[in-house]
Amino acid sequence: MIGMRSLNVAVIVKLEPDFSEGNVSYNADGTLNRAETKSILGPHSAIASLAAFYSKVRYGARITVGTMGPPIADAALQQAQMLCDADELHLYSDRLFAGADTLATAETLKAGISKMQGGIEGMDLVFSGHRASDGETGQTGPQTAWKLGFPFLGNVIDYNLDLERRTIRAKRLISLQGFYDIVEEIEAPLPAFVSVDPSYQPNFNTVSQRLALGRYRKEAAERSSNYKQYLKVFNAQQMGVDPKLVGLPGSPTIVYKVEKIPKAKASRKSEVIDGANPEHIRLAAAKIHEILSGAVVK
Amino acid sequence: MVERFDAVIIGGGSAGLAALKQLANQGKQAVLIEAGTSPGTKNVSGGILYSKKPKDGKVYNVEDVYGQDFLSDAPFERMITKYMLHATSKDKIFSIDLTAAHHYQANYGCSVLMNKLNSWFAKEAGQSAEKQGGGIVSGVHVRSIGWKSNEESIAIIETDELEPFEAKAVIAADGVNSEVAELTQARDKFSPHQLYQGVKVIVKLPEQIMEERFGIEYDSGAAHLFAGDVTLNHIGGGFVYTNRDSLSAGVVYHYDSLMRNPSEPHTLVDTLLQNPMVSEFIKDEVAVKQEIDKNLPKEEQLRIQFAVSKLIKTWGELRHAYYSANGRKGLIESGKYKSDEDIRARVESIKQELESKYSTRFVTDYVELEYSAKIIPDGKRCAMRQPYYKNILFVGDAAGRGIFIGPRIEGINVGIDDAARAAESVARAIDRNVFSEDYLGQYYSQSLEASPYTKDMREIDKDYLKIFLDAAKEVPRDIIGQRYGMVLKLMSSGTLRGLAIGFANILGFERLLPLVESEETYVQVPIELADRLGKQVTSTYNPSIPTVAQRIAKLKYNDDRISHIKVLDPQSDFMKKMVKLCPTNCYSLEDQSVVLQHEACVECGTCAKETDWHHPRGEMGVSYQYG
Ligand SMILES: Cc1cc2nc3c(=O)[nH]c(=O)nc-3n(C[C@H](O)[C@H](O)[C@H](O)COP(=O)(O)OP(=O)(O)OC[C@H]3O[C@@H](n4cnc5c(N)ncnc54)[C@H](O)[C@@H]3O)c2cc1C
Ligand code: SF4
Repeated sequence: MIGMRSLNVAVIVKLEPDFSEGNVSYNADGTLNRAETKSILGPHSAIASLAAFYSKVRYGARITVGTMGPPIADAALQQAQMLCDADELHLYSDRLFAGADTLATAETLKAGISKMQGGIEGMDLVFSGHRASDGETGQTGPQTAWKLGFPFLGNVIDYNLDLERRTIRAKRLISLQGFYDIVEEIEAPLPAFVSVDPSYQPNFNTVSQRLALGRYRKEAAERSSNYKQYLKVFNAQQMGVDPKLVGLPGSPTIVYKVEKIPKAKASRKSEVIDGANPEHIRLAAAKIHEILSGAVVK
Repeated sequence: MVERFDAVIIGGGSAGLAALKQLANQGKQAVLIEAGTSPGTKNVSGGILYSKKPKDGKVYNVEDVYGQDFLSDAPFERMITKYMLHATSKDKIFSIDLTAAHHYQANYGCSVLMNKLNSWFAKEAGQSAEKQGGGIVSGVHVRSIGWKSNEESIAIIETDELEPFEAKAVIAADGVNSEVAELTQARDKFSPHQLYQGVKVIVKLPEQIMEERFGIEYDSGAAHLFAGDVTLNHIGGGFVYTNRDSLSAGVVYHYDSLMRNPSEPHTLVDTLLQNPMVSEFIKDEVAVKQEIDKNLPKEEQLRIQFAVSKLIKTWGELRHAYYSANGRKGLIESGKYKSDEDIRARVESIKQELESKYSTRFVTDYVELEYSAKIIPDGKRCAMRQPYYKNILFVGDAAGRGIFIGPRIEGINVGIDDAARAAESVARAIDRNVFSEDYLGQYYSQSLEASPYTKDMREIDKDYLKIFLDAAKEVPRDIIGQRYGMVLKLMSSGTLRGLAIGFANILGFERLLPLVESEETYVQVPIELADRLGKQVTSTYNPSIPTVAQRIAKLKYNDDRISHIKVLDPQSDFMKKMVKLCPTNCYSLEDQSVVLQHEACVECGTCAKETDWHHPRGEMGVSYQYG
């Protein structure tokens, strides 16, 4: 709780094609055949939902999950609710939104957030996935943050809030001067926009947190089995968006064509080693040694 | 700030869960900590759950804790209505009907599978506890317990997973291998002479095939006990209980009898399964795949393999459903089948397709679903005399409490009674806000003293004995050795019986038990009975019994790299015996030293006495699906 009102949290999710074996289908031009491809809550959106759930368990946040998409996108909302026990589900759905690139999507999402509890002014934290699996640009998050005027915290792997000081303290995974997996700890004022790193793992380490976790998980399962009760669908008019800023008209970029990257010719050679033959093992060890000694910098 | 709770329960087996529920029933906040992923995954029983009505005094039954609707709401397996004891010698069996002993002072006894039952208990207890601000925390392993230096009655509990927290009262329900007992030294680790080793398999069997075979109905069930040559000369015996659509078949032997003459636990179960009567009990129709022709193209081999597996699976599931009234009803209601006949025809046609197209054979064999093991405290020999320590109360297996006398096997109900008494004692302490050993522990101890179960752990109940002897009255006197002949003579007269038992009880259980619980009772007398009076039973097939490795492969484990057990003296005699006595072959001998590979450990506790033994960290180790 912040003062008297609850902590307001938004999660922006995306229904994504299910890339697992047998579920994907492509059009002749190499773009995804969305109608034929099964959809699920994107894995990055799932992680964003889990990060939001942490704020519910730890700080009793009130969570709204929002997505822009066709009516079938409510499946993503249901799955997200299962993960984060959302109090409300928003679907922003209008033909006007079709063909949106990341900038136009950000505009729609900003309008969506203004429809959530407390509006943009009352929003404390917005979570999004690292990126979507199908668009792969990773720009929607930062652009939405920019449109909202919230500080953007990317690649977050852990966070805690100080509700009194209204700040977030987060650990981010970054690469620095050629080194990967550097953890940076930063503090930012609320409201903030957090994009969650795929390696994020919530950690509940007190008895009370575990008890709350159990209660909310149960509530989440109940709620998501009646998710329609929590669902609100908005069209462009209800959201009060400027048609010039959303959908195709609001999109400065379009996907022209997606090329399949040709498979590189393999240049590997293989030799069969008989594990029972000590001579073979010795040869293999010598080979490994040869390769390693070439690579080790003394 | 360190979190503090009024009551913390360590361990979520049937005893711990009952404590949680009963505290919630009394409006008290309590938190239960369970190491397994969820309650029920670490528990093993035989098992028959009893609800009792002792002639003197009162026990807390499962319905006193969970409500009078227990039987209509809870997922028990079958009401046991038939209780038989079989004396075995090769293919001869002499049977005694012990149904009267089963019903003795009982409202009922029903078969249960611990995972299912404890999950239900956890749902009920968890919901009630949440209303009081408590609940169940699973996947957390308690590793140490201490006290605030200035406040004797505030326990500090440390776990492998969470920040330390405090409790005003603790109920230790962490089972027979209680780490709480060890950490506090409230009692010694149990020794072999105080324990049994239980090993069990779950066998799949379609509902109505079982009902016909065992002569039971939908709402009844049977229990069969075995003694004689099936024991391989150990003190104890085997059992087969009917569940809804599976059988529990297992053995329970005195641990010191196993120490004297080690037999591998799985061999003991296998011997039971190979007894002709048991083989006939467990048999079913089983599909055997034909080897795929290796000369076929790889893709074709794969395709066949896939198709056959799928068909066999469908055949098995459909057939299993067909032999159950509810199963058939469900299939017809789903709209996939029009009638029972329709389902039967489909089962038949899949079978024919498998036979004709893929040369699958259908044979008589049996299907094992799960292998499990656990040591059991023999309450007569190890019930804690002082079942408390500071502000900790011990209940159930952790307190070494259970009644195991001849065919009487009761641990679950005893643990529930303990738990209700512990909960009452804690509730009283919360009301007064006094958690001292005197106020809490002694009150609990007195309450246990008043429990009829405690009496049963200390004295022979002459009425029970009479029922037992009446059941065995057809047994000719001369079979029973001289020692027993004398006893029987005494027992046949009411007055003498009273005197004899009075005298026996003065002698005390401790001196009496070695006479009664002897190889003579469990092995020699039954063998002679079977040889002389037994009926011949033949089995039509040889069950193909899985190896230990195959059994382990079927179990679900969450591997922990770090071993939860450390061998202290790899050359001790005790440890060398573990090579044989560990039910999952975790120990091997290399150069006169015992080596442990903990990965397959089922946490039975057989090796606990001389090792540094802990339960695995939260969520780690074995997870039983039946239990
Ligand atoms: C083969 C066999 C047949 C039996 N037959 C019968 C029968 O027919 N009828 C009958 O009434 N009884 C029978 N019993 C006995 C009965 O099963 C037990 O007495 C009963 O299950 C014990 O329950 P409990 O709750 O005391 O202990 P358990 O069921 O052992 O529960 C202890 C729990 O504590 C948890 N735990 C342990 N240490 C920690 C820790 N440090 N931190 C967190 N959690 C921890 C464990 O994970 C476990 O879930 C049988 C037992 C066996 C093995
Ligand atoms: S290692 Fe010990 S506790 Fe584990 S299964 Fe073997 S005997 Fe039981």
